[in-house]
Amino acid sequence: MTTQSLETSRSYSQQQKLKVFLLLGGLALACIASLVLALLTGSIKVTVGELWQLIQFQLGLSDQPANTLSATVVTELRLPRALSALVVGAELALAGCLMQVLLRNPLADPYVLGVSGGAAVGALLSIMAGLGSFWVSGSAFVGALTNLLLVFGLSHASGVWSPSRLLLTGVVTAAGWGAIISFMLSIGEDNQLRGMLFWLMGDLSRASLPGWHGLFLLMSLALSALLARPLNMMLRGELQAKALGVAVYPLQITLYLLASVLTASAVTQAGSVGFLGLVVPHILRLSIGSDHRLLLPATALAGACLLLLADTLARTLIAPQQLPVGVITAFIGVPVFLWVLQKSNRGTV
Amino acid sequence: MNPSHRTIRTALLTLVIAMGLQLSFQTPAEAGAIQVVDDQNQTLTLPQPAKRIISLAPSVTELLYSAGAGDKVVAVVQYSDFPEAAKALPRVGGYTQLDIERILSLQPDLVIGWQSGNQPEALDKLRQLGIPVYITETRFLEQIPDTLERFGQMADTFETAARAANQFRSTLDQLKNQYQDKNTVKVFYQVWSQPLITINKQNLINQVIEACGGQNVFAELNTIAPRIDVEAVLKANPDAIVASGMGVERPEWLDEWLKWPSINAVKNDQLHFIPPGHIQRQTVRVLLGAERLCRQLDQTRTLMADSVDQQGSAQ
Repeated sequence: MTTQSLETSRSYSQQQKLKVFLLLGGLALACIASLVLALLTGSIKVTVGELWQLIQFQLGLSDQPANTLSATVVTELRLPRALSALVVGAELALAGCLMQVLLRNPLADPYVLGVSGGAAVGALLSIMAGLGSFWVSGSAFVGALTNLLLVFGLSHASGVWSPSRLLLTGVVTAAGWGAIISFMLSIGEDNQLRGMLFWLMGDLSRASLPGWHGLFLLMSLALSALLARPLNMMLRGELQAKALGVAVYPLQITLYLLASVLTASAVTQAGSVGFLGLVVPHILRLSIGSDHRLLLPATALAGACLLLLADTLARTLIAPQQLPVGVITAFIGVPVFLWVLQKSNRGTV
Repeated sequence: MNPSHRTIRTALLTLVIAMGLQLSFQTPAEAGAIQVVDDQNQTLTLPQPAKRIISLAPSVTELLYSAGAGDKVVAVVQYSDFPEAAKALPRVGGYTQLDIERILSLQPDLVIGWQSGNQPEALDKLRQLGIPVYITETRFLEQIPDTLERFGQMADTFETAARAANQFRSTLDQLKNQYQDKNTVKVFYQVWSQPLITINKQNLINQVIEACGGQNVFAELNTIAPRIDVEAVLKANPDAIVASGMGVERPEWLDEWLKWPSINAVKNDQLHFIPPGHIQRQTVRVLLGAERLCRQLDQTRTLMADSVDQQGSAQ
């Protein structure tokens, strides 16, 4: 453990650079492949030729427009949904990874501190009020931010701050949100109930182009690249990190804020898609180690691919009927995780 | 003899006598007892016509009023909003969450439940507590008049109930005769938009659509209220889209289909609205929805015929 951590704070050797390049490149290719697959599959048949023609037309390489129905299906339905799946998947996996470091707890996931609970209460309230999807997303975001401030304030209230105090405050707040959610579900009307349940299970069908969410993801990735070295030092424990010149408290605050806002952005788009944020960071930590310079971008890419693949399956497996995407992420994630865990002999979890 | 033993004996004796008396009182009433079989095939015997009825479903409340038994209903569940008089009645919880104590305290002599809405444990509990429970489950339009008649039997308002039932039967027959065998119109019935939900052939609405000579494009899916995606609708290419939404207003989301002019229904402007109370509840009012739907689909049919004619003359 110690030797590995020491390694991780040094610069890369030539060989390591190649490994990093191959790994991130491979994951990026996998994301592109899943994107193509997502654009090609669905109830309406779209051929590879049509897709290629459409891409050329969109890029201005050709002025021959593709078959109108296929073109609209791809650009209006499949592309926005696929891009949000990529963004949401990356955000959740990254947030989960950061939470696990911050709370020093392998069971931590993006929702452990109640962000999704707060968002759910906001979203469910506006579903009950019969408001449109703009308001549902808006109030989900407000709910998530409320939780962020609440948990932060409460865990600082007594002046003593520690990750375990934050964890306890967050878990109890999350339980509080859970109770409110159960209450709302028990008084909701039938038609609204369906919308509410789908929101809670995570659902990308109402996602539009990710827009500022995508921009925010890119900024978070850049920020996490800056955080990677101090995070590596944190693996040796707070005291050692302090001795090595890491400003531990500001780092923890930054981690908390970054992970919370990432989660808020994800649930605003897709509801609380479960499981991804817990398992993807673990799978990668088990298979590539805990060097955060590599782990953070790799986790984001793997989360993006996994959610996009899962969503494509969710909408096509028993088409025209639709499954909640959370079911599929668990179906793929559980066996993969257990397999990696069996194979691994590292003690990093 | 120990005095406490004597007290117990006296108590027992009193109890036995009381039971005997009750039996002897019951015997003459049993001559006029009412026997009905409910939708779960359970035989229910009422010693006398029900005077204090509790309805455990909004649709049951409506049917009771249609059967002329409205003034015998003492309590209802939430969302019993039709007819107007039902709104003023005491509530015994939502149909999934019943307040058993409240039901008991109202001393009903008949509780009418709803198989696919109420929790079976709650209905069993009521039976164990000695309350007669009649359970409804409407899978076919033809069951509605039958249920009306049975409600009339139990509440001793058979004449009113039979009149309402016969009227229902004749109106339904009339609609079927007029529309059922006309050219088929492909219909997509949209229950909700977020998530996008339709119905399959097990749903009562499917029978309304068929009575009007329509064909539900998602009839063959295997859940009663399947969740689908926009692409599936594009592929099915319905001639008419019918939606209900939440209230008496046409839902805004119905116009979201205007983005997809490739759908025949959108091309021909055949986006129809039916208030949910007129089609989603298994009551007499379903005929209002049926009449409206039949007219709407007939309009679609005429338009389709016209466009075929135009194409024919263009060629």
